[in-house]
Amino acid sequence: MSEIILNGRKVKVRKGEFLLAVARREGIEIPTLCQHDAVEPAGACRLCLVEVTRPEWEGWSKLVTSCLFPAEDGLIVSTDSAPVHKTRKGILELLMARSPNAVPVRELARQYGIEQCPYPVQHDGDNCILCDICTRVCQNLVTGAISRIDRGVGKRVATPFAEPSTDCVGCLACAKSCPTAAIPYEDEGLRRTIWGKTFEVASCAGCGAPTVTAEQAAWIEQSKGVSREDQLVCDRCKAQKTAAAYQKLAW
Amino acid sequence: MKLTLANIDGYRQELVTQRKELQSIMVCCGTGCRARNGLGVAEAMGEALEAAGLGDEVKVELTSTGCHGWCEQGPIVTIEPDGVFYTNVKPEHAGEIVAGFQSGHPVQKLLYRDLTTRERKVTYHEVPFYSHQTRWAMRNVGRISPTEIDHYIARDGYKALAKVLAGMSPAEVVDEVAKAGLRGRGGGGFDAGRKWRSAARASGSPKYIICNGDEGDPGAFMDRSIMEADPHGVLEGMIIGAYAIGATQGYIYVRQEYPLAVKHLEQAMADAREMGLLGEQILGSDFSFEIKIARGGGAFVCGESSALMRSIEGKVGEPRAKYVHAADKGLFDRPTVLNNVETFICVPLILDKGAEHFAATGTAGSKGTKAFSVVGKVNCNGLIEVPMGTTLRELIFDVAGGVPKGRTFKAVQTGGPSGGCLPESQLDLAVDFDTLADAGSMMGSGGLIVMDDRNCLVDVARYFVKFLVDESCGKCVPCREGLKQMLAILSRITQGEGRTEDLVAIDKLCDVLKDGSLCALGKSAANPVLSTLKYFRSEYEEHIRDGFCRAGVCGKLCSYHINEKCTGCAVCAKVCPVTCISGEKKELHVIDQGPCIQCGSCFDACRFDAIEIRSAP
Amino acid sequence: MPSTDFAELLEKHPPVEESLIEILHDVQLAHRYLPRPALVAVAAHCAVPLARVMSVATFYKAFSLEPKGEKVLKVCMGTACHVKGASQLLDEAERLLGCKCGETTADGRYTLEEVNCVGACAMAPLVIEDEQYHGKFKPVDMKLLLKAGE
Ligand SMILES: Cc1cc2nc3c(=O)[nH]c(=O)nc-3n(C[C@H](O)[C@H](O)[C@H](O)COP(=O)(O)O)c2cc1C
Ligand code: SF4
Ligand code: SF4
Ligand code: FES
Ligand code: FES
Ligand code: FES
Repeated sequence: MSEIILNGRKVKVRKGEFLLAVARREGIEIPTLCQHDAVEPAGACRLCLVEVTRPEWEGWSKLVTSCLFPAEDGLIVSTDSAPVHKTRKGILELLMARSPNAVPVRELARQYGIEQCPYPVQHDGDNCILCDICTRVCQNLVTGAISRIDRGVGKRVATPFAEPSTDCVGCLACAKSCPTAAIPYEDEGLRRTIWGKTFEVASCAGCGAPTVTAEQAAWIEQSKGVSREDQLVCDRCKAQKTAAAYQKLAW
Repeated sequence: MKLTLANIDGYRQELVTQRKELQSIMVCCGTGCRARNGLGVAEAMGEALEAAGLGDEVKVELTSTGCHGWCEQGPIVTIEPDGVFYTNVKPEHAGEIVAGFQSGHPVQKLLYRDLTTRERKVTYHEVPFYSHQTRWAMRNVGRISPTEIDHYIARDGYKALAKVLAGMSPAEVVDEVAKAGLRGRGGGGFDAGRKWRSAARASGSPKYIICNGDEGDPGAFMDRSIMEADPHGVLEGMIIGAYAIGATQGYIYVRQEYPLAVKHLEQAMADAREMGLLGEQILGSDFSFEIKIARGGGAFVCGESSALMRSIEGKVGEPRAKYVHAADKGLFDRPTVLNNVETFICVPLILDKGAEHFAATGTAGSKGTKAFSVVGKVNCNGLIEVPMGTTLRELIFDVAGGVPKGRTFKAVQTGGPSGGCLPESQLDLAVDFDTLADAGSMMGSGGLIVMDDRNCLVDVARYFVKFLVDESCGKCVPCREGLKQMLAILSRITQGEGRTEDLVAIDKLCDVLKDGSLCALGKSAANPVLSTLKYFRSEYEEHIRDGFCRAGVCGKLCSYHINEKCTGCAVCAKVCPVTCISGEKKELHVIDQGPCIQCGSCFDACRFDAIEIRSAP
Repeated sequence: MPSTDFAELLEKHPPVEESLIEILHDVQLAHRYLPRPALVAVAAHCAVPLARVMSVATFYKAFSLEPKGEKVLKVCMGTACHVKGASQLLDEAERLLGCKCGETTADGRYTLEEVNCVGACAMAPLVIEDEQYHGKFKPVDMKLLLKAGE
């Protein structure tokens, strides 16, 4: 076990554990926009910056992203020092200019006391803040149907050639993991449309509720070995079935 | 033939003896000279030699060299061992050169003419541009044919490698490099010995060694020259490095814009393999090592170490946080050492001549020499290698011959897009890793761009920000969004729509970039802006307050006029791309303001000071 | 174009993600752009999703998804060239060709591009037509160069 000083308090940490995780465990809030538990950290939004130093650094300190910085013995961390606050605010002002309608951006901007964005605001700006969560989720957990196209200021998330993708299975993992709800989709009854592709959603063998798309079922079967029949039962029915079985047993 | 530790010295000795009697006529066929028909010169020289029918008694060889670093004077032809130095050679001069060679009377008109004394100089040893230099990293540049491995071996090539493999442990090699005080030439100035030591100690295999030949700093070309002109030197440095850290695979990452460098490196690798200097059991020892070339994809950010490694892995070149060092987890998450081309080429020198020899030159914190690409508004545009600690003034005025006649020095930009612009008052600073950084710039990889009164520093700041907007990978918010806003502000200023509060906004953006960005591209992106604001603030103010660009660069903030000094020579009219200058011969000319695009061609062409820059109408 | 056309190019490279950029370079060299079927074939060869190939193909400037004009005219925008008036050269090229940087002329004869330093800075400013470098270029030279190309 190692020990760090977090906002003036001694805290036990596992070596190599990320500072963000430690802070959260200790109930300290750090804003994040590109962190998602299902994927490796990226360090893209830069909001989770914290200030770190060590006694032997003789007063010198640096800002690091807590989502990526490994805790190590003797580290002194402050999660809301003046430089941290100032830099986060500067970043949020930039995000406000880009995506003024994105709810978490507005909320954080309010928290950081931004009344007026100092830059020209793109009022109809895209909600996508390029946090890379959707693309990482799709690449790592699903089929990798979307990616970030171009570089720099022109970077954007898209399917190949911005056309319906053969790889997309319509699972909605990207849209659901997007912190700013920037990925539009329609989910009406047994029809679902995302990234320009429309899917049939199979209904639950038990109750008829929507479950998974045929493409998704095939993909899960192939990659995870879960049979299609098992997938065609919705979560509620699965839970009920288990409960019923349990009741029988208990009785 | 396969070389071994036992026979390499004998082989070299034989080559040296053979070559002693030989006269070499060497035609530069580097990228720059090729652009000016260097290949045509080489061919014509071949024909002329054949035609002259020199008998067996004259031992002469005709070969080509890589870039000497003075392409401005190209095509260059040299005759070794004396060092006869011909500039601006055309194919039709070949006959005269051969005749001069036979008679021992060099062709006067092709010799370099001294800028001040106007005297012709016969050999490059007498040319100030060369005589002021200490060419260590560039020791073979222009002196050998890059495609002849024997040329390299004859000039002590692979001697250091043999010494290392014959009697030094990897740890001893690392110690020697550390003792020499070799710091990375790619910009950061990181201690190479320390980097090697961590990688040598790291667990995990295989280990990799990478040579960074991406040379993204626009305006710098020393790495190109070295790779093109002395590829074996780079290979030897890498092989020694690989031995020191225990790497089995190496990569050379070369910019895609440098096809000739790739060609020469590939040939060098093939020749080295053939002779047992690369591949399995190098020089008959039990050390094996291979190298592959990876071509860059035209992305400046891929010069950054973590982005470069992603690129070799076949991925998008986005940097990663470096909280875990590459020495532990680099390429393919294995221990990796990455060094710059010039760093590697210093290695054989250090091991051959000894760490003390290397460390005896330079300053307290920066040892050895450094190659600079001194270009822009100077008389001699080219590569200049000098001991660390040489002042900017010596570099620009003594070696590069100062700014061309009639213009005045304004600023020198060092360190590329991560560096800054320094004014006349800072010219006595010694150029090394630490001094320039203290002044708000950095030595960087060695680009040194000189500007005169015809350059606008606001425009230069905007130029770098635009460059970085195009080159930012776009992964992190401060760099992607911050640079976009910065460009918008600077563009406004150069278009006459600047506001006083813009300068405050710029300061704020600089802070966010510096403190918030993920990699050094974003972190140092503020430097060009901050340094121009610091030293040339009045130019910003003049743009904003008076709507005037006195350099005549920002088209909306200036206009060109002809005054009474005009002699009517009509030179201006000839160079105007939109033909908006008119006037009778020998009479005052006029510029029609309507079609004028403020390109300034006329100003630069006029020899009578008759063109004036005024504010926009 | 059936994807088998690329078989020869692909064969030279081991079927791993590491080969991706090298293969794209080869395709770009052979076709002067990355045809769509090639991208699909490369994805299959390297066993990566097409989306990943797309992100690589669009990240690096060396690759182009559009066919280029008969000739490519590049203006060097490196610092050495910039301080010697490269922007004026680009303006002039845009004006004479009637297309913006990055575009191809309507008649398909020229693609106009910028490049960040080709390492011949001592001869700045530079204009590169296909593989031919032209140093110490002046705005007024542009007309002649384009005329010579006719
Ligand atoms: C944006 C960026 C671009 C860089 N470009 C180069 C480059 O073109 N060549 C180079 O050698 N180093 C470049 N570097 C520095 C490298 O990251 C790295 O520090 C260097 O190659 C290490 O070698 P050295 O220690 O021998 O200098 C760049 C760094 C950054 C942040
Ligand atoms: S769409 Fe959403 S999840 Fe995807 S990069 Fe944009 S903001 Fe992040
Ligand atoms: S600082 Fe710029 S180049 Fe570096 S990671 Fe961030 S966006 Fe990419
Ligand atoms: S959460 Fe750490 S950088 Fe976004
Ligand atoms: S190419 Fe000949 S001197 Fe540079
Ligand atoms: S800046 Fe144009 S060739 Fe280097």
